[in-house]
Amino acid sequence: MEQTGNRRRSTLKLVQDAFSESHNREVYIPVMEFDFDNVLTALAGRDVVLTGLFAVENFKGHSGFTLLYVLEQRGSSNTVILKLALSGKEALSIAGDFASAWWFEREIRDGFGIEFPNAFDKRRLFLHETYPDDFHPLLKSFINQPITTRKSVTPEEEYSFKEMTGEGVYQIPVGPVHAGIIEPGHFRFSVIGETIFNLEIRMFYKHRGIEKLAEGKTPEQCVSIAETISGDESAANAVAFSMAVEKVCQASIPARAWQLRTILLELERIYSHLGDMAGMIVDVAFPRGASPFFILREEIFRQNAFLTGSRFMKGIITPGGLKKDIPREALTGLAEYLAAFLPMFEDALDLALGSSSVVDRLETTGIIRPELINPLNISGPAARAGGAAIDTRRDHPYGIYDKLEFEKQINDKSDVMSRFNVKSREIMDSATMISNLINTIQPGAVFAPLEYRDGYALALIEAARGQSLHWVNIKAGIIDRYKVRTASLCNWQAIEHAVLGNIVPDFPLINKSLNLSYAGTDL
Amino acid sequence: MFRRFTKLFTANVIEDIKFNNEEFTALGLRLKGEVISLFGRSLAIRELDSGSDNATEIELVNLTTPYYDIERFGISFVASPRHADILIITGSVTHNMEIAVKKTYEAMAAPKFVVAVGDDACNGGMFKDTYAVNGGADKIIPVDLKIPGNPPSPHEIINGLLGLMKAMRAGQRKTSG
Repeated sequence: MEQTGNRRRSTLKLVQDAFSESHNREVYIPVMEFDFDNVLTALAGRDVVLTGLFAVENFKGHSGFTLLYVLEQRGSSNTVILKLALSGKEALSIAGDFASAWWFEREIRDGFGIEFPNAFDKRRLFLHETYPDDFHPLLKSFINQPITTRKSVTPEEEYSFKEMTGEGVYQIPVGPVHAGIIEPGHFRFSVIGETIFNLEIRMFYKHRGIEKLAEGKTPEQCVSIAETISGDESAANAVAFSMAVEKVCQASIPARAWQLRTILLELERIYSHLGDMAGMIVDVAFPRGASPFFILREEIFRQNAFLTGSRFMKGIITPGGLKKDIPREALTGLAEYLAAFLPMFEDALDLALGSSSVVDRLETTGIIRPELINPLNISGPAARAGGAAIDTRRDHPYGIYDKLEFEKQINDKSDVMSRFNVKSREIMDSATMISNLINTIQPGAVFAPLEYRDGYALALIEAARGQSLHWVNIKAGIIDRYKVRTASLCNWQAIEHAVLGNIVPDFPLINKSLNLSYAGTDL
Repeated sequence: MFRRFTKLFTANVIEDIKFNNEEFTALGLRLKGEVISLFGRSLAIRELDSGSDNATEIELVNLTTPYYDIERFGISFVASPRHADILIITGSVTHNMEIAVKKTYEAMAAPKFVVAVGDDACNGGMFKDTYAVNGGADKIIPVDLKIPGNPPSPHEIINGLLGLMKAMRAGQRKTSG
């Protein structure tokens, strides 16, 4: 007993020591199975955020399963990764203490068949009803190939949504196929009159097997897989994947490559936010007010194509830098365009926010309570609009962000309007950042060949929607495990809370104010 | 704030459109001609995502934005498959979307046409022969035309639809002749 106590103190102390420093490092700390409950219970009360949780098979000489718990503490740039080697196929659920574990653990169960006997929710997550029982695609024993699934599902076998009962409560099922040009997902509303009483979101209709697909590929081959995680986050995910590989190889990237990557990353933020803002204005039925945002967004898509040959900036980023340089003329053209962009963008804001009915619909709608941000691991504009000063570009600086001037854009109203405002200010910041970079960029190499080594590393990036987490394990030069957790996966749970007490017609608006990626969630 | 008020008083119904693209407009007008002769007045499209990476959806939405504005060519995206002449399907048809894809197709009234847009919908793309997908729309429902690309641009999508119209006209000639 005494020894257990000491060990617990020592593991806890290791975690605390790791967080008391701020070196932007990832610190792996082993934790024993018998000790795990105590350590996690002790951490639960200390403002520690579980930002990722995933399994690896045959990791570092342990032939079974290892669970990796990625922890952050606000204020420290270090990331702690608790390493739990399992003796069998069972682990303790911590979803009661760390709410973000709710989907993470179900994802692990589906992928590897690891059970969490004390979990409060044991439903399958990304393997829907037609998948066979006992099928776990991320097991090394499963070779990736087409499988036979069931062609129909009886009503008894259908996914069971939470039943809300009471006088006047009724359900509205929406999706997976929606009315607009939108990705598929299911929203189950329980409603009283017009007011939303409960919302349960079911995702993973688009599950494409991204993580399994990456296994056995070379890092170069895997970039296109990273780009397809979520089409409108291609640059962020390709850069994050490349960063993880570069970390494994202990490679340093030419200055110009990082300057150009940063230009692409910020362009992606601009067009993504522009789409969200247009969408919010469309959803309050003011298409004339949305049009200027759509026009600007199209112009950014065209700039993307001038710079990279792809409207979504696909096919240029690679581990080691960029596959090709961006010509001087294209960069000068972008700088000229951005000078014209800012006044047009301000006009667009004036038009949209000059309408009192727009303001009326956006204000006080869809509030994400700030106390949910850490437990659910909400990130990006959704968190910053709720007063949380979190931005991976500042908290865990990568590339050249520590040399760039910009502020975290914070707003504390937590409603749709505050998300609209945070996004609009971030667009202006990104445009300024890009213009400054173009003014100072020097010619030079954009690629440095990597010397491939084996190993594993974590990369965190601030994509437009929030923090994206990428973990890569390379064995004998090929990808053994690629774990991705985009911001969308966690931020979906923010929507379940944000809609409560709002009316059903405001759901599309609240949804659009976060504009999460279904593809990036479902993988 | 002052600018906001002056804008209100100076706004015109028709403003100077600085983003007219003659090539795209010419393409659209040809498509409009085909739509009128083959479909009567207008063409209703239902979009269905069966597992894309969302870039194709964005390009389809872009077709309805001011730069492209395909409604001026008599083409609109509709909210229900029951209202649609054409189903545009994107994605490699994941197992999790298979039943929904079949139901959507079955909900359409005949005659109905299916266009696969994007590499994944055309042949499964990089997901071909993997566990989670069927590997292309034509594995699940009949497909009349494929528009490849990662993703195809708005131009390429409209060009593809024009190709479908030509194929239909050729088919008509065959059946009538």
